[in-house]
Amino acid sequence: MEVLGSLAEGFGHVLTLQNLLWVVVGCFLGTAVGVMPGLGSSMAVALLLPVTFALDPMAAFIMFSGVYFGGLFGDSTMAILVNTPGQASAIASTFEGHKMARAGRAPQALATAAIGAFVGGMIASALVVFIAPVLAALSSQFGPAEFFALALFAFVATSSVVTDSAVKGLLSLVLGLAIAVVGIDGVTGAPRFTMGSPLLFDGISLVTVTVGMLALGEVIYVACIARHNRREQSVRATGRPWLSRKEFREATPAWLRGTAIGLPFGVIPAGGSEIPTFLAYGLEKRLDSRREDPQFGKGAIRGLAAPEAAGNATTGMSMGALLALGLPISATAAIMLGAFQQYGLQPGPLLFERAPDLVWGLLASFFIAMIVLLVINLPFARLWAKLLLIPEPYLYAGITLFCALGIYATSSSTADLLFLLGVGVLGFLMRTFDYPLAPLIIGMVLGPLAESSLRDALMSSGGHPGVLFDGPIVLVLYVLMLGAIGLTVRAKLTGRAGARA
Amino acid sequence: MTTDATAPGLGSDPARTERQGAVHLLRELTMPGVLALVAIYLIVGLVTMQAPSNADFPGPRFFPGIITAALIVLVAVQAVAGIRAWRRGTLVELGEDEDVRRQSGLSMEAGTRSRLDVRALAWILGGFLGFSFLLDLLGWVIGGALLFWCVARAFGSRRVLLDLVIGLTLASAAYIGFDMMLGLSLPSGILGGGF
Repeated sequence: MEVLGSLAEGFGHVLTLQNLLWVVVGCFLGTAVGVMPGLGSSMAVALLLPVTFALDPMAAFIMFSGVYFGGLFGDSTMAILVNTPGQASAIASTFEGHKMARAGRAPQALATAAIGAFVGGMIASALVVFIAPVLAALSSQFGPAEFFALALFAFVATSSVVTDSAVKGLLSLVLGLAIAVVGIDGVTGAPRFTMGSPLLFDGISLVTVTVGMLALGEVIYVACIARHNRREQSVRATGRPWLSRKEFREATPAWLRGTAIGLPFGVIPAGGSEIPTFLAYGLEKRLDSRREDPQFGKGAIRGLAAPEAAGNATTGMSMGALLALGLPISATAAIMLGAFQQYGLQPGPLLFERAPDLVWGLLASFFIAMIVLLVINLPFARLWAKLLLIPEPYLYAGITLFCALGIYATSSSTADLLFLLGVGVLGFLMRTFDYPLAPLIIGMVLGPLAESSLRDALMSSGGHPGVLFDGPIVLVLYVLMLGAIGLTVRAKLTGRAGARA
Repeated sequence: MTTDATAPGLGSDPARTERQGAVHLLRELTMPGVLALVAIYLIVGLVTMQAPSNADFPGPRFFPGIITAALIVLVAVQAVAGIRAWRRGTLVELGEDEDVRRQSGLSMEAGTRSRLDVRALAWILGGFLGFSFLLDLLGWVIGGALLFWCVARAFGSRRVLLDLVIGLTLASAAYIGFDMMLGLSLPSGILGGGF
């Protein structure tokens, strides 16, 4: 099989001492950041973005994937022990996971989560290997109208389906799009919204915006608001972190069901793994209520196993969608897409032809990352929890220092530091008033694609908007978009209701 | 975000009147205000933009024009929604988790008002501004240590000496790791003066 041959070659690229080191570093960093209360993988990737300029693309991306998956593993540790999920995707894990921990089964809960994340991630990575080339071949037939539909799909889904307030989600998206149009217009060469300042000719740097929004904004928010109304209770994990055979048998079907739910959401731009984790949780809960001895509410192992597997299955598949279509389904994926663009690489069908080493090496690194993460999380989850002992002032002061380092080291300009501060304050305001940040990042990353494909399509048709709905692929995409919106809204309503009851 | 579901049956809830002060309205309109400024910037940019006269129909103004229009409509909707929520007294307090509130039977707690910690904000903003302007003079190690101290102070740490020592250690480690080993350039400032 051709695919397996390519994958074997990919393993050949990754299994060098240096690249293995980056996988492990990424996994450690991701887990560490994920474990910290309130910090998620998107912040880890944003903070690392500037640093990777000193690395070659291969090393950078395998480190990113380690961070991305590691953040998910770490998030669940925190969700279980302290009941504070770092990302929305870990919320569903807190319900039964934290109850298990309170009932003295913290080590088992951590093991269930780690194995669940491993199962979901592994199956998803294996599927991506086979599906991504097919998707890439399909998307090589895409024209401007198709790409515009795809971008619109991502915009609508991330800004209105996932968030509580559609207006705030759309505002965040539009702000991201507005940031993206600053700079020289690629088609006509006209400077736009630059106030004549050469500083803005190249546009606003994605790195500055992501670091400011996701990291510095969070620091200001925690310092000024969140710190003052926090109540949390940590549970200590003691005992052997192994599952008994009975627990294993109990959890296995839930791991598999969770994975099955999570997989399709990796290619639907519905905002990442929040919805599938809730869906998986809701399904297990319904199945559980039919049993003779319902476990939910008492710390059900299945209620933790399913969402963990679903979350990582979605994340794994989303990497396939990112590589093959250039379509990011979450903020973290959007930042990675931005990183590809910084290296002059455009994810999509051409990436498989132009940089096969990179693509297959990256895919191979997923498998290695999963194994590394299982090894560093299963026996050592308790050690990770020790990171909680870092005093809050030093944790956040360190993050601030690292933000400044990343921005200044890449540009050596005071203007960029001031801009970072401005974006940080904006991110602080958006957090304070409950505006979602992911649509802004996705709008900024996909904005140029949306604009150029829209203008190309309209120019080729002489200005007739009908061209946007012309062709079977486009129509399928729009129908899918409507279907996905309908489904996710319904799923979200029932999933949330199930979680509440 | 409007919370229509909370409106009925809450009659003379003290938590409701607590949320109807002028400061609440101002706070709710902060983001729409900021976004309105962005819209004005976009409009000015659209008007003053010098597009080549030979540009075809979807020129450089086309896409930003759509964005600007959408922004104006959305800001108006959000501002109206905010004012209506304020009149009903159902605004969400700073740092209040709406999901949690919805799950706890939609009731609002009175007296859980949380405020913006202005002093923390000043320490972070001031520290970062000072850092930005003095970085070239002080150098990365000293500047970074001072920034570290300011942020730690904003988070309530009062051990000045310890904070500075930890900050110096971290900044030096970063300098060694990134400037010397990875080859990114960080200013050495007065520490490296003359060398």
